[in-house]
Amino acid sequence: MFILLRQLATIRREAHLTRGRPRSLGIRHVDAGSCNGCEHELGAASNPFHDLQRHGLDIVASPRHADILLITGPVTTRMAGPLQTAYRAMPEPRLVAALGDCALGRNIVGDSTQLVGRLDDVLPIDIRIPGCPPTPGQIAECLLAALNSN
Amino acid sequence: MTEVEHLETHSLRVGVERAVASGERFAGAWASGGDHRASWRALLVSPHDLRVISCDASAGEVESIVDIVEAAGWDEREAHDVYGLEFAGHAPMRALAAHPDDPELWMTPVTGEGVHQVAVGPIHAGVIESGHFRFHVVGERILAMDPRLFYKHRGLERAAEGRQAADALVHAQRACAACAVTNTVAYAQAVEDARGLEPDRDLRMVRTVLLELERLYNHLHDIGAICAGVGYAPGSMAFAALKDRAQQVNMSAFGHRFLFGAVGAGAGAAALDASRADAARGRLREMQADTAAAWRELEFTGSLQARLDGIGVLVADDARRLGAVGPAARAAGIREDARSASPRLAYEGFTPASLHAPTGDVGSRLRLRALELETTYELLEEMLAKPLARGTTMRRGATSELGVGRVESPRGATMCAVELDGERVTRLHLRTGSYANWPALAHATAGNLLPDFPLINKSFELCYACVDR
Repeated sequence: MFILLRQLATIRREAHLTRGRPRSLGIRHVDAGSCNGCEHELGAASNPFHDLQRHGLDIVASPRHADILLITGPVTTRMAGPLQTAYRAMPEPRLVAALGDCALGRNIVGDSTQLVGRLDDVLPIDIRIPGCPPTPGQIAECLLAALNSN
Repeated sequence: MTEVEHLETHSLRVGVERAVASGERFAGAWASGGDHRASWRALLVSPHDLRVISCDASAGEVESIVDIVEAAGWDEREAHDVYGLEFAGHAPMRALAAHPDDPELWMTPVTGEGVHQVAVGPIHAGVIESGHFRFHVVGERILAMDPRLFYKHRGLERAAEGRQAADALVHAQRACAACAVTNTVAYAQAVEDARGLEPDRDLRMVRTVLLELERLYNHLHDIGAICAGVGYAPGSMAFAALKDRAQQVNMSAFGHRFLFGAVGAGAGAAALDASRADAARGRLREMQADTAAAWRELEFTGSLQARLDGIGVLVADDARRLGAVGPAARAAGIREDARSASPRLAYEGFTPASLHAPTGDVGSRLRLRALELETTYELLEEMLAKPLARGTTMRRGATSELGVGRVESPRGATMCAVELDGERVTRLHLRTGSYANWPALAHATAGNLLPDFPLINKSFELCYACVDR
């Protein structure tokens, strides 16, 4: 199975597919050590006031189904490995979104021995959603901009 | 000022034994100080008082108390992993905060015919915090569950050390967004306790309003989460909308959906003028009616109700033995709520909620939250009738090196201990309601079906962030 997956991944990468005019993006969220504020607001983006799904933005269960890896938190040493595993599992082309100030490396609080450093140095960030935490409206706005430009 | 009794290393165990025999309850323990002046301390609470007993731990080993107080299990395991303290008599010492590769070092040994393991996490399928669960199952039946948390360990307590007391408040706040008010009020109380300060009436009022606003959006969220746990989308969406309305009230009244920045140590950090208080009160009154209507719908939804009874049972004896707190304990019939013993807040005459039939299952935890919401709406209606002033503190007692705060969060009693050297924090320890309840959740899971775990988990709705810190 892994050989097949690797072959398929290579074909996808070398085909240089553009997104054309896609009307949906699958989002996989990874909590890399957040305070749970970003999770609450990401969840709220699907509530009846915002209803992210109506734009074709869906939270998907597996990174294999995802177009965007949406990361929250300052990246703890314990979550660095699982985060890389999730990223590697994604099909290409793929995007990385940093949700919230911690993921953007701003105003991080914590012991440096327990954190791996800036997410920027770990994965290439394509979409930046600032805020502590960003409101559901801000999250929707940034993701919609990504949907319309990719 | 919280009383601290310093005991010989071998006497702490006896001290705990006596305290428990006389009706006091264990409410957390923490290691403190460097190699030469290391201490091991325990917080003991009685209905209207709390005190700390402490012993020297500079030899690197103290006697375990888990055979007297099972609820101290996680505290000892954490102190072992993070502070390198040994606990004589605690065997096997399973890893909690440390993440050894060998599963034998952290899992419950479960063997037998047909037993196998199901590993879940740290990354979950939904928008959920990171944490790992190891289920030991036969077929679909769960025999035991080992939660492995601390994936989100940011070292917040360590990072607070050496900072000025006012600057370290952010470490308590960042532990958890959903308990930010509770954790910062507990922190503020601890600092004020150590400095011999007492909040005035205004400060007690505004903090109480903030705490109830936090409880409001959390309880609404948790009811919606239980609906989501059984796949009942209309319920989960209705309560998600109510939760958002509660956070909109937070935003318009205090400028932040999670009330960040509204709590200060030593003085108030937020006020509410008459017009904003009145506007918040009006919106909350509308929400109260809508919440009651939405709740009535849930009560008459057969497909939801059929999934709640007899699932994830935590009986009173086990809740007490494992040190469960908050809605989880009250749903099991334990009428304890830190709000009824909070002289530093404005809860005069408060009585804990109780159910007619506290069966300790998912249904009880759901119904208890609905009941508590009524009290929260009533408290807010009453307290928002007047504008809220910022408030301040007054000197009432002597200063000391150690202070303790204890506050009821939406998930149960949270304690914060702060040790000071002048203005500098030498130790910050936060033991939240979630921390107290995780062993009870693991216990309530055993015997149930694996597909019911998400529902059981949501009925406790514990934070990972304020456990991991």
